[in-house]
Amino acid sequence: MKEYKQSFTKWQEQIQQELKKRPERKDTFQTSSNIPIERAYFPDKIDNAYIKSLGFPGEYPFTRGIRGTMYRGKHWTMRQYAGFGSAKETNERFRYLLDQGQTGLSVAFDLPTQIGYDSDDTMALGEVGKVGVAIDSLEDMEILFDKISLNQVSTSMTINAPAAVLLAMYIVVAEKQGVSKEQIRGTIQNDILKEYIARGTYIYPPKASMRLITDIFAYCSENVPSFNTISISGYHIREAGSTAVQELAFTLSNAVAYVESALEAGLDIDQFAPRLAFFFNGHNEFFEEVAKFRAARRMWAKLMKERFHAKNPKSWQLRFHTQVAGSTLTAQQPENNVVRVALQALAAVFGGTQSLHTNSKDEALSLPTEDSARIALRTQQIIAHETGVSDTVDPLGGSYYVESLTDELEAEAQKYMDHIDDMGGAVSAVEKQYMQREIHRAAYEAQKRLENEEDIVVGVNKFTVGDEQQPDLLKVDEAFVESQIERLNQIRKERDQEKVSDILEKLKKSAEGKENLMYPIIEAVKEYATVGEICHALRDVYGEY
Amino acid sequence: MDKIRVLIAKPGLDGHDRGALVISQALRDAGMEVIYTGLRQTPKQIVRAAVQEDVDVIGLSSLSGAHNVLFPEVLKELSRNEAEDILVFGGGVIPLEDIQVLEKNGILKIFTPGTSTKVVATYIEQAVAEHRGETPMLQTPPKRVDHIGIAVKSIEETAVFYSNHFHVNVETIAEVPDQGVRVAFLPLGNCKIELLEPLDENSPIHAFIEKRGEGLHHVAFEIDNIQQRLDQLKAEGIRLIDEKPKKGASGNPIAFLHPKSTYGALIELYESKQDAENEGGQ
Repeated sequence: MKEYKQSFTKWQEQIQQELKKRPERKDTFQTSSNIPIERAYFPDKIDNAYIKSLGFPGEYPFTRGIRGTMYRGKHWTMRQYAGFGSAKETNERFRYLLDQGQTGLSVAFDLPTQIGYDSDDTMALGEVGKVGVAIDSLEDMEILFDKISLNQVSTSMTINAPAAVLLAMYIVVAEKQGVSKEQIRGTIQNDILKEYIARGTYIYPPKASMRLITDIFAYCSENVPSFNTISISGYHIREAGSTAVQELAFTLSNAVAYVESALEAGLDIDQFAPRLAFFFNGHNEFFEEVAKFRAARRMWAKLMKERFHAKNPKSWQLRFHTQVAGSTLTAQQPENNVVRVALQALAAVFGGTQSLHTNSKDEALSLPTEDSARIALRTQQIIAHETGVSDTVDPLGGSYYVESLTDELEAEAQKYMDHIDDMGGAVSAVEKQYMQREIHRAAYEAQKRLENEEDIVVGVNKFTVGDEQQPDLLKVDEAFVESQIERLNQIRKERDQEKVSDILEKLKKSAEGKENLMYPIIEAVKEYATVGEICHALRDVYGEY
Repeated sequence: MDKIRVLIAKPGLDGHDRGALVISQALRDAGMEVIYTGLRQTPKQIVRAAVQEDVDVIGLSSLSGAHNVLFPEVLKELSRNEAEDILVFGGGVIPLEDIQVLEKNGILKIFTPGTSTKVVATYIEQAVAEHRGETPMLQTPPKRVDHIGIAVKSIEETAVFYSNHFHVNVETIAEVPDQGVRVAFLPLGNCKIELLEPLDENSPIHAFIEKRGEGLHHVAFEIDNIQQRLDQLKAEGIRLIDEKPKKGASGNPIAFLHPKSTYGALIELYESKQDAENEGGQ
């Protein structure tokens, strides 16, 4: 007993040290009835089992959170995914969201950008600017971040196959603003395995894709130390219809594959692991979701410490972004979605998320309008500032139900992960379509439960109303496509074509060899080579999946 | 009947194929041959695959907002290949106002999120059967509104109102003891007003008036093939009050749909038989 008392005292002392550097939001926290709120609550007896499975907040295995003070210190980052049409329109939406109190940016790119086609490519027909902003050349990126200081915001970019290109553009735009590589903060999604599994924006075959990813890891660990080089995503796996256990297992299996690939490329674990970030789904089933986030942290900490022998505690910490589940939004009675979103977001907060995107109520119908995007942001502001849930760390910790679920999810996910290891790891499991099949089976079963009314979706298969009024929806102005293509042609005319061709040739050579591809890509971007041209050069070398 | 062959396709660059995969599986379970194209198909590729595979139906899925460009492009490509006989339906994230335009321009049907897979399967079966000439045309709108039923306490009192202020007069009055009503028909254009008066306190019309007061009671659509229509609606998951047609006031077969399934309106189906035509009218 005594040693645990000591470790508790030690933990408290450490927190006091931290508080000197980073004080909490308030000197004291209390409820409306003046009951003081402790930083965290503990069992009467702190024993070995507690230390092993839960630990103190901010300490291994981080089940209760990655910081000792969590949201008492600072709320999660409110980061709303946005982007549509032209860079100029999206820039306006970004500045609106920042004015409204949003604390980080999150860029949605259109599908041609995500799959490495320029806006004038025949493959881009009908898709330009639809689900996100169209970026062809550095000029678009300059417009996108116009009047936004890149040393003031952190920016998350949902970009995978061409992640290196968009990161290069971001670095160059920052430099043009006078902001150094060391200063920029943000995340690129860069998680190609889940693209093959669930999201679909892959370009090259898995092995070539993995090389691009490790090149980014290596480049950033030397040059862009504050950028998260990957956001390993369960979000889309869940959206594709997986269960919570599958989301957990497949995401961590993918993470293991990235780690192994980076180790094979000769990187040191503690050099890149602290910059790995995660991205999970905030779904409907409240307690299971809370348990999922807690289990994820514990599993990752164990993996990193015990399997990969990482020494730096930062390598053990699973930091994650949450977006609430888009697939649970209903087109029927869209106002109900506000409530769904609030509850899902609350689960993410109880789960200790580092940043959060709350969906807009109209997203089952189209991209969100400015009004509904504001309500979505307000929803998490209300959770943060009005409910008091952020005044103590891991408030559900110790609940018999939540702790039991956390253990169960871990055990079930571990079974899947062992099976994937037996198959030769995530890359090989993806190539064999294993995860795709498992997810599809779960999705089909869920659909059948819904149609048999075993599962109830309010307003869809129960509690329906007649005469649904369709709300006002966001219309993306189609006319911009022409001007986007015009500007692209203008750039192609004005730039130094010979230089561009030379660099693209050089890029192909590097792709055949071993040189880190980030260097030639940055050079190419600076000369206004386009996303499509750079990706096509790599297609020539690697082929398409 | 030959097995129905369906091509499920993802036009454009959208990678969300959960819906496409679930529909493919559900149509297979409903006994159809289903080919799924996989992601990122151009309209040309889709039509080429459809022609090669000799499908009856193409199902398009798009969640990225590119439907207004890509769906019509598939239709154009079909006509370039003289394959317009292939039926095309679609689904995904598609706003209501786009649906109207797409359906007007030749997409057979757009299914929105929340549609049960059973509805989709039943719809396709029927559409293909009609297209092959194997069943009567049921996926056509009703011919017209035959009459509008209004529940009243007294036909005589109400009739005076219509006569004095709209100059419409009662043409026939009949008693239908089966249903506990006395009805009067007032011809109006190619439609009629039907006044329904309860015969006694057990009459459903009496209950209706007690609960909701006098007023609009039901609307009757004139259709053909009433029994097949009822079977089709039932298969689509619509609740029926009458699974078999019964004899209406005019002697023609009628049947009611349950308002729970019709967003609150009581809908009567009415089939006019040649020999009974105009009975109760003129």
